[in-house]
Amino acid sequence: MKSYQLSSLDTLFKQLATQHEMFEPQQLPGSSDLHWLPSQEGPADQYSSAKKRLPLAPAKGFLFAEREVLFHFDGKTFIKTVPKVKPQVLFGLQSCDLCAIAYQDQFFKGDSHYQTRRQATLLVGFDCLTPCDGGCCSTVDAGPFVRNGSADLILHPKGDEWLLISTSEQGDRLIQPLNLSSAPSHWLEQRHKGEAEVVKRFPSDQHIKSSIKKINQATITAEQWQQLGLQCLTCSGCTNLCPTCSCFTTFDQNIDGESAAFKRERCWDSCLYEAFQRESSGHNPSKEAGERLQRYWFHKFSDHYADEFNRYGCVGCGRCEQTCPGGIGIHSIMRRLENAS
Amino acid sequence: MKLSMTPQTVHLIDQYDDGENSRHYTFQLAQPTDEIIQPGQFFTLTLPNFGEAAFTYLTPPNNQDQFQALIRRAGSLTSELFNTQTGTLLGYRGPFGSGLWPIEMIKDKRVLFIAGGIGLPPLATAIATLLEQDSNIGLIYGSRNPAGQVLKLEREEWHKQMPIIETFDHASSSQLTGTPLDHLDTISQKLGGEPEAVLTCGPEVMMSAVGGYFAGKKLAEESIWLALERRMHCGIGLCGHCYFGSSYVCTDGPVYSWAEFIKQQNRC
Repeated sequence: MKSYQLSSLDTLFKQLATQHEMFEPQQLPGSSDLHWLPSQEGPADQYSSAKKRLPLAPAKGFLFAEREVLFHFDGKTFIKTVPKVKPQVLFGLQSCDLCAIAYQDQFFKGDSHYQTRRQATLLVGFDCLTPCDGGCCSTVDAGPFVRNGSADLILHPKGDEWLLISTSEQGDRLIQPLNLSSAPSHWLEQRHKGEAEVVKRFPSDQHIKSSIKKINQATITAEQWQQLGLQCLTCSGCTNLCPTCSCFTTFDQNIDGESAAFKRERCWDSCLYEAFQRESSGHNPSKEAGERLQRYWFHKFSDHYADEFNRYGCVGCGRCEQTCPGGIGIHSIMRRLENAS
Repeated sequence: MKLSMTPQTVHLIDQYDDGENSRHYTFQLAQPTDEIIQPGQFFTLTLPNFGEAAFTYLTPPNNQDQFQALIRRAGSLTSELFNTQTGTLLGYRGPFGSGLWPIEMIKDKRVLFIAGGIGLPPLATAIATLLEQDSNIGLIYGSRNPAGQVLKLEREEWHKQMPIIETFDHASSSQLTGTPLDHLDTISQKLGGEPEAVLTCGPEVMMSAVGGYFAGKKLAEESIWLALERRMHCGIGLCGHCYFGSSYVCTDGPVYSWAEFIKQQNRC
């Protein structure tokens, strides 16, 4: 890990842009939401603002494509499709989304499509100096400051300047031509101490902590889950926007409308859908909405998965709370579970 | 475990009707395989333009790379398979699954197989393996009615080598009726004592009843085993569809001990 003093983000951005396609969260005209979009002009004027906002959707689609071809069949053989990805930089990732990428790196470690995209991607993270609306990253050890090893480059504001931390060989190599000075040693100490100050400013997370316990002790009854499940409209907003959700389905697309030639694609799926587990016989192990809702939150907060991934499946981004039309996103449901008896 | 989602080619080389809406298939791998398939493992079949689904091996690939499966027509993919001509080229991936029938653990015990309907084929590799080892085994096979029975030729062979009780929900007066559990005394007499290990496959509600019964009879939870069916889209623990508690049936199953089944069920 090396740390540098960076006077302007512009310099860094332009240096990275010489060898990569650049993407960063940007506002579309007429919308206040941030979206991940190509940016050769950048950097956008948002990183030094006191209250950084989370992009509407996480960056997971860059690595786990929303829809992609797995292979095609020419009538005689099955031919694997390898995604073609140009070297790219995701510039401006918050810690929650970076922790989610680290989680998916583990989950998809044997998936060549994911890994092809991932290996072409450099991650540039920014520390959050204030809690964002609905965020609870500190509750699940996913922020607000970027975790070492989750990004190639980490940026931390220091007045008009930046503390730039490089945590990977690729990061070192890319910024080497900038000939940056080492950061003053007290900057790192200040950063280290500073996170606790930001954490203090998060609202109470007692409802989440006590509900995580209840989920793991399995004290929520099937009836209680079913009651909450009735509020699920099966819109899949939570699973689409959750940066760690990774379920997919597959389907075949005929190529020429005549022969047997086809391509098989995969696309994101949602465990909240009624037919997610339904078998062709009609047997459905999770036919009740409550069972599916329980599964979703079990997957996010079960200690069994925490043991496997060294963290919970929730990174505290709060997007499910923002998007759920049924009022069963993380804060709403954790409050209901906390009060359930 | 094979992580690729791209199939290899396989030819459908033989098929015959074997029970109502069920057919006995033989496939020939285009590429030779030296992979050893363990009892309990499964494979996937791709029907071009109709997708992919998981099936159990009835017999593993032999020295000519041919293997068999018993498949019931249930959805669009199997309906297309039933319309597929012998000789057609299809896609194959496998073997999958690490939860296996515990052959080594039970081969010297009195083993009772309990199958319901289309749950018989997943037990076939375990039955064949134990018969080869001269183990003391028996089978209770429950079906809705005689037409619903599968593996006619296999059962004829097995009848020569082991006690089999066939029972039906609906049957003529000359046939046995009732659930498999109704006939435990009879099979125990034929086996020379109560079963020391039970392997079951069939509708989940039947397996729950069987497991619960023998667990209640103080049969060790590690002596009761069952195989689960789940919808699957990958076979390699990624698509998420076959979750069962904190496990994936495709990679952790499809065979579970009763102890593990109960543990995972309580996590669902």
